[in-house]
Amino acid sequence: MRSEPALPTLPPALFRGLGAFFATELRVQLHERMAIVTSITVQVVLLIFVRILAPGLWSVALFGAVIFSFFTLGQRVLNEAAYIRVDHRLNQLYLASPLTPESYFLGLSLGVLVAYLLPIGVLVAVAVVTVPAPAILWVALPFLALAVFAFSASIGYIVSTQFRDMRAIWSYASLLYNFFGVLPPVFYPVGDVPSAVRVPVLLLPPSGASALLQSFLGTAHLTGGEVALTTLALAVESVGALVLAMIWARRTVQEA
Amino acid sequence: MPDTALVAEDVRKVYRIRGGPDVVALDGVSLTVRSGERVGLLGRNGAGKTTFLKIASTLLRPTSGTVTVFGHDVGTVPERVRPLIAVVPQEGKPFFHLTPREQVYTYLCARGIDRATARSRTAEAIGQMGLEEVADRLSITLSGGQRQRTMVATVIATEAPLLFLDEPTIGMDPFARRAVWASLRRLTQRGSTILLTTHYLDEAEALSERLYIVERGTVLTAGTAEALKRGVGGTVRVSLTGGRPASALFATFGEGVADGDTLHVVTQPERLNEILALATRERLPATVGPVTLEEAFLRAVGRSIDEE
Repeated sequence: MRSEPALPTLPPALFRGLGAFFATELRVQLHERMAIVTSITVQVVLLIFVRILAPGLWSVALFGAVIFSFFTLGQRVLNEAAYIRVDHRLNQLYLASPLTPESYFLGLSLGVLVAYLLPIGVLVAVAVVTVPAPAILWVALPFLALAVFAFSASIGYIVSTQFRDMRAIWSYASLLYNFFGVLPPVFYPVGDVPSAVRVPVLLLPPSGASALLQSFLGTAHLTGGEVALTTLALAVESVGALVLAMIWARRTVQEA
Repeated sequence: MPDTALVAEDVRKVYRIRGGPDVVALDGVSLTVRSGERVGLLGRNGAGKTTFLKIASTLLRPTSGTVTVFGHDVGTVPERVRPLIAVVPQEGKPFFHLTPREQVYTYLCARGIDRATARSRTAEAIGQMGLEEVADRLSITLSGGQRQRTMVATVIATEAPLLFLDEPTIGMDPFARRAVWASLRRLTQRGSTILLTTHYLDEAEALSERLYIVERGTVLTAGTAEALKRGVGGTVRVSLTGGRPASALFATFGEGVADGDTLHVVTQPERLNEILALATRERLPATVGPVTLEEAFLRAVGRSIDEE
């Protein structure tokens, strides 16, 4: 005989299921120990080059490596979101459930972030030991790093929803990685870029964050106006991208 | 609980293809699933089954028409529908870096189910799917069938009021398929409703209380497996092999379908002696069997293709 269970009713909540999905994604990421360990390979290699070829740029390159690492975590969000959607189709399992689309995006992003914090922590520890940085830099660093991550993860998530083939995604991911992370002065002094592109460079989140750190270190001179512009741009871009990605996550559920 | 779990009315879905002609995936599908029913959608590849399931499970917007789940419109209030449903996606795979136990448990937690209930339901679902031995191995090390069983375990453990299963037993061995069937029957006895697609017609017959046959985005016919088989025009199938038997010779007994050197004639039991006598006279070896759902399916879809 069939029983008659009552229909479940859940209160509407923007972030329903966030904690549980974050824990899921964190667990998934932590199983990939080799990927975590090797996540800062490029940064370490670049730092070795700098140590040998231009030791005077060590502090710039080291804090640039920290910013770059947070930026690349956003690219990992792109790959993870696309992989789950294209290869595993698990987005359908999770999005056709009480878990909200916002929680899906944020849980995935935070899972990646937390899993990969340890190697970045090693870079920060090296900085603590080798670079005599002012207190303001240490206060600003977490905010700048998180802003860069929020921007990168948000853009990464949005891009991940646009493709049906992982191979097509790789080329775009590579473009974003190099255009935002490698080309602008993240690893090298902002003072070395031509003055014509100085403002765009300050407006790009990774190089903007790096420029602010360089000004705190005293390795670059930013005017008061430039500091204000860079800080405001970073805040608007990171929060704006985050909000846009959450709206995007909700809008795109029904085309999953 | 409402009497009706799902109502679809005149659902159309047109995919706009950049640089190509539009693709009409659904062309006015209407169907009803009552609470507690197990209903199967049958159709060829590309018939529109998965598109319909995606719309009904809030993952795709229809171009026109409506689908309501327990009275809630999936297009306008999907957030009210989602707590009521669970989906096994077509070709879905569990997280490779979770074990089946972790996959089921964490999914239940993400749905807001408390930890104690999630733990007990996880154990039950893992047991029902016969995954105990591999429950704590990473899914990347499992076979395709075991991964598919993990997906089904994940969804049946939700005990959601309405389950959508898109080819849930694909890649499973016959024992595992039967374990899935038993679990799905148990779920509907507890009050859940199931809408599934499958290409296994034995599965559709064994599991579904009603079937919809879909072709080119429209519902061709619907009913119980028995009713669909009766619609073929008889309950007995006589297969005549060798020498390319002339279908005209046997046309009076019922509709014949040629399959290579074999002619399948569907007829009534009372005409069996007559057709066998004719086959003997014509020196044609004949085998007799019941009409299968596959017969009904092939004829329904085949007629539709012929009409095109």
